[in-house]
Amino acid sequence: MPIAIYRFVVLGITTLAVVAPLSLVVYQSFLTAPFFDHSARLSLSAYSFVFAESDFWQAFWTTLAICIGMTAIAVPLGALLAFLMVRTDVPGRRYLEPLILIPIFVSAVVIAFGYVVAVGPVGIFSTLAKDVLGFVPWNLYSLASLIAIAGLTHVPHVYLYSAAALRGLSTDLEEAARVSGANPFRVAINVSLPMIMPAILFAGVLVFFLGFELFGLPLVLGDPQDVLVLSTYLFKLTNKLGVPSYQLMAVVVVVIIAVTAPLVFLQRLLLRQAQRYVSVRGKGLKTQPLRLHGWRWFAFAAIVFWLFVTVAVPLFGITLRSFVVTWGEGVKLSEVLTLDHYRELIDYPNVVRGILNTLGIGVIGGAAAVACYTAIALAVHRWNSGWTRLVDYMVMVPRAMPGLVAGLALLWVFLFVPFMSPLRSTMFSIWLAYSIVWLAYGMRLISGTLLQVAPELEEAARVSGANDLRVKRDVTIPLIKYGMLASWLLIFLIFVREYSTGIYLLGPGTEVIGSLLVSLWGTGAIDLVSALSVVNVVMIGAGLAVAVRLGVRLHG
Amino acid sequence: MADLLVKDLKLRLGDNEILKSVSLSVTPGQVVALLGPSGSGKTTLLRAIAGLEVPHGGSISIGESVFFDAARGIELPAEQRGLGLVFQSYALWPHRTVFDNVAYGLKLRKTPAAEIKTRVEKTLAQIGLGHLAARYPHQLSGGQQQRVAIARALVYEPPVLLLDEPLSNLDAKLREEARAWLRTLIVTLGLSAIHVTHDQVEAMAIADRIILLDAGVVTQEGAPTALYNEPGTLFTAEFMGSNNRLDGKLVEISGGRASMEVFGERITGMARTKAAAGSNATGIIRIERVRCASSAGPNRLKMELKAPMYLGERWELVFAREHLTVRAYASSPLKPGEHYVEFPAEALWVF
Repeated sequence: MPIAIYRFVVLGITTLAVVAPLSLVVYQSFLTAPFFDHSARLSLSAYSFVFAESDFWQAFWTTLAICIGMTAIAVPLGALLAFLMVRTDVPGRRYLEPLILIPIFVSAVVIAFGYVVAVGPVGIFSTLAKDVLGFVPWNLYSLASLIAIAGLTHVPHVYLYSAAALRGLSTDLEEAARVSGANPFRVAINVSLPMIMPAILFAGVLVFFLGFELFGLPLVLGDPQDVLVLSTYLFKLTNKLGVPSYQLMAVVVVVIIAVTAPLVFLQRLLLRQAQRYVSVRGKGLKTQPLRLHGWRWFAFAAIVFWLFVTVAVPLFGITLRSFVVTWGEGVKLSEVLTLDHYRELIDYPNVVRGILNTLGIGVIGGAAAVACYTAIALAVHRWNSGWTRLVDYMVMVPRAMPGLVAGLALLWVFLFVPFMSPLRSTMFSIWLAYSIVWLAYGMRLISGTLLQVAPELEEAARVSGANDLRVKRDVTIPLIKYGMLASWLLIFLIFVREYSTGIYLLGPGTEVIGSLLVSLWGTGAIDLVSALSVVNVVMIGAGLAVAVRLGVRLHG
Repeated sequence: MADLLVKDLKLRLGDNEILKSVSLSVTPGQVVALLGPSGSGKTTLLRAIAGLEVPHGGSISIGESVFFDAARGIELPAEQRGLGLVFQSYALWPHRTVFDNVAYGLKLRKTPAAEIKTRVEKTLAQIGLGHLAARYPHQLSGGQQQRVAIARALVYEPPVLLLDEPLSNLDAKLREEARAWLRTLIVTLGLSAIHVTHDQVEAMAIADRIILLDAGVVTQEGAPTALYNEPGTLFTAEFMGSNNRLDGKLVEISGGRASMEVFGERITGMARTKAAAGSNATGIIRIERVRCASSAGPNRLKMELKAPMYLGERWELVFAREHLTVRAYASSPLKPGEHYVEFPAEALWVF
């Protein structure tokens, strides 16, 4: 049976790609030295070393504080935003919707750089405030600012899930509350939001989980204050002892995964429950939005203010910075304008390669990743077997590995497996790491598309005389073609934005904009960083514009 | 061509026994209707014959070619059975034109392109859609889609055509036309077909033979007239036609006749039970066989006329007495009040 061969080959490759990096990390964590060192022995010494480090515990508790803080900020704001956007007559909703999603698609390091150049100690807005007020009313480099920014930039995640749930909810419940005398705010608090609690709860766990994965924001904003989180602690460990302290890094990775894996599992349970709630949806009539009357423009102003703080400030800051020679107190804008930073980009061959590689990984790598995700999804599609559960879990595993961790694990795999080491310094290594990190996301996109193929369409082909593989080729794939194209676009956006996964794999030939930004930031090349950030944002903006134009749903 | 034989087929989905030892045969040129209420297993049976569901017992074969045999461990995949199946939802491929939808089965059989063209055109002409070959399914009406689905299933001349409630997605008026059209098409082309339906009128109109399924078991099979006029079981009697139901105590059985007591009156009908006197009995009679009388007599009950309803070509009368309700037809309305309702013995079955 060719279909059985196909299925088990795909299953085997997927399992290998997912399990190999993870098991190598776990193995490494129990060694006394790097795995390639012949003196390495099995031992728990790495664990006792790390657990005795006060810096480690400091980073652990800071991470936890950030997770809790950002969840507390993002969840109420996101849920309320969803209510305003989906259920009320806030002006300009059609134009606000794509803007709201921008923080999801713009790289977190770019946003962090943006904040530094906009509201940092000598930032554009800070100097402005100093001119007017005589002092700067904020301090960017503090844990509070970090939590606030992390919270505000994760509002869209909560918004997405809450909005989807709200759209599936019948409106007569709200109308009943309205008729009983509740104002729109009370309707939201007493009726709508409680009804979508499972979705909000899911979003809350998601944001908390994303807090553990934060890297760009704490790296850029926490560093000057020596605020470390687990991911930045891991990053710093690289050079801590002078020699590669792989076993210590592995222990930190194991700790991170030990926290994120249960969270991923919890999300899965909650998502199922949330979807069960959503399924009460009827094909109802087009519903009338709740009228806010006087509150309409107030709500609009609140949304615009949030957009200003989370999107406009950092993006404006980084853009302006890329066009000026220098910035500081007493600098006049008209005297410092320049295009030099963009010209300089061309002088650095690694930067030019990085830009080309980023485009390549987005376009070609994105297509290849979608092809792989489709191959896996098709292997389990209409497969009546317990093996599909294995695939379900396999797909979840990389979700528990933050990009930085996955990149490190992949690096070790390339070092460990002899025949793979020549590939380490090629874009293949980057592509493999990206594809594994985004496996769960990509699979969700493709499976969602496959769900819409009615089984009879495939059965009709079977009865007509087509075998399983032929059915997939002649019926299933043609029917999901547009879904695959949409997925390609979304994967493009994500691959172009990605920065943390490529950091450990960065080398001559494997430069991508994201990891270059992180390494250039470390050298203090702020001019170059801002110009390159703008290039990255423009790429993403172009992708987003195409997606919006084609009517691609921006959330899988 | 040989008979399609299904023997002792057993199938379960999860813990649910859907088919409990079902047997049937279809001789070439015959149209068989699989009739039954929803949940009786008729669609599952059809899908098992097509190879889309896997039974755990029994066998399916046409002559020498064995499709399925649990004992010998044979299970031919759906694509190798060469049957034609028309889905309830039609399942036309939206990304292919009408022509390509119909041609697909021939293409899989590696038929030369020129021959595909002539055969598809011939089939489309037979179903009266020759001019729509270049259209896409979404550009067709429901009735046209249904015809394309049929053309797609019969273009490669399958030994048996399987139809899964093909008329249920059409509106009432179109359904009757399509029924007549489908019967004519099948008879003209000399096809063998299994037609699944839950509509007894459709089954009787379209089939040479009806197989009535109830809860995964064949309760009765035979010609439509036999099922309608000679029901062997209470289920068959109640499922076919529109009926009245009388509940009473069995008094005696003799010479193929059974008498039961209803409201102290003795009502006699055709015996369909072997139960002992004194046990509970149920009498079934078609609405159109109930007669209204003006005076008392054998097999008559005094009942009160509740509601005369005008149906166009006749009147429907609803009589009642305590918990018993009887419906009857009449050519003219009767006055409300007490009447005698007669249950002719040869039309009443006592179970």
